[in-house]
Amino acid sequence: MGIESKLGDNILTTTIDSFINWARKNSLWPMPFGTACCAIEMMSVLGPKYDLARFGAEAIRFSPRQSDLMIVAGRVSIKMMPILQKIYRQMSEPKWVISMGACASSGGLFNTYATVQGIDNFIPVDVYVPGCPPRPETLIDAVLRIQKKIEKERSLQYK
Amino acid sequence: MASNQEILQKVQEKFADCVLETKDELGEATLSIKRECNVAVLSFLREDPDLAFDFLMDVCGVDYLEMGGPERFAVVYHLYSMKHNHRVRVKAFVPEDDPTIDTVSHLWAAANWAEREVFDMFGIEFNHHPDMRRILCPDDFEGHPLRKDFPLKGIGYRESFEKIERSNAQ
Repeated sequence: MGIESKLGDNILTTTIDSFINWARKNSLWPMPFGTACCAIEMMSVLGPKYDLARFGAEAIRFSPRQSDLMIVAGRVSIKMMPILQKIYRQMSEPKWVISMGACASSGGLFNTYATVQGIDNFIPVDVYVPGCPPRPETLIDAVLRIQKKIEKERSLQYK
Repeated sequence: MASNQEILQKVQEKFADCVLETKDELGEATLSIKRECNVAVLSFLREDPDLAFDFLMDVCGVDYLEMGGPERFAVVYHLYSMKHNHRVRVKAFVPEDDPTIDTVSHLWAAANWAEREVFDMFGIEFNHHPDMRRILCPDDFEGHPLRKDFPLKGIGYRESFEKIERSNAQ
């Protein structure tokens, strides 16, 4: 692609990369895709006591077009899965997904005909949060891990 | 408030040939009727001023495949009277080869969705129902999940989605 390939792999691109990554990780706008009980814990993380806004995730956007982090909180049923995929496709790059709770990560307690056994079979997930429901601090830890993951990205260095 | 015995007796007097069995166990009155007279019995329970069962709490289905019962299925109506504060349970048995029964959605509006749920989960069709279609499962779902011969882990719907690969775009 354009100028990036000409610049190569040097201190200019790594500095620009780290600046881009710093900007992206400190302004993650989450999209809460809460379906069940984990959504309540997610609401408490977004509330004043376990504040997620202090990590930059201030603007909670319920529109996929305006967000870059989708937090899937709760069990996803077979009726909800195509909707989840549609919403995931509507998010623009770069995007990350947190699978919150046991049900989103693996189907959890519900090994039944109507519950998808882990959303990672169908959409790419970056961080999994165990728990039923996870404590708010665990979700904050997951957001921090996404931030660490973003730090390592190389958007400018063409691989 | 009429006692359980009074309720059961009133119905038995009026519909002697419809009532198969009455039970008064654990403080709950249960009435088993033939499925042909379910509208007649339920409208009597609703209209009669001493009984006045104006609140249909639930319509549910039962599959007796493993337990063994007079027929394979039963449709169970739970009624409550807000005026007199008494309850009754009405069971109508439905055979497997003709799983149909008349609807009571013209008596209680709540029966509309409750009967749709029984249809979705057991496959029992309700005659003259205004909107007989699935309510909980997806529209293209085949099978009736709460039947005892339907596997718990399903028949493959929960794995049948397209996998979206991670894109390398930045």
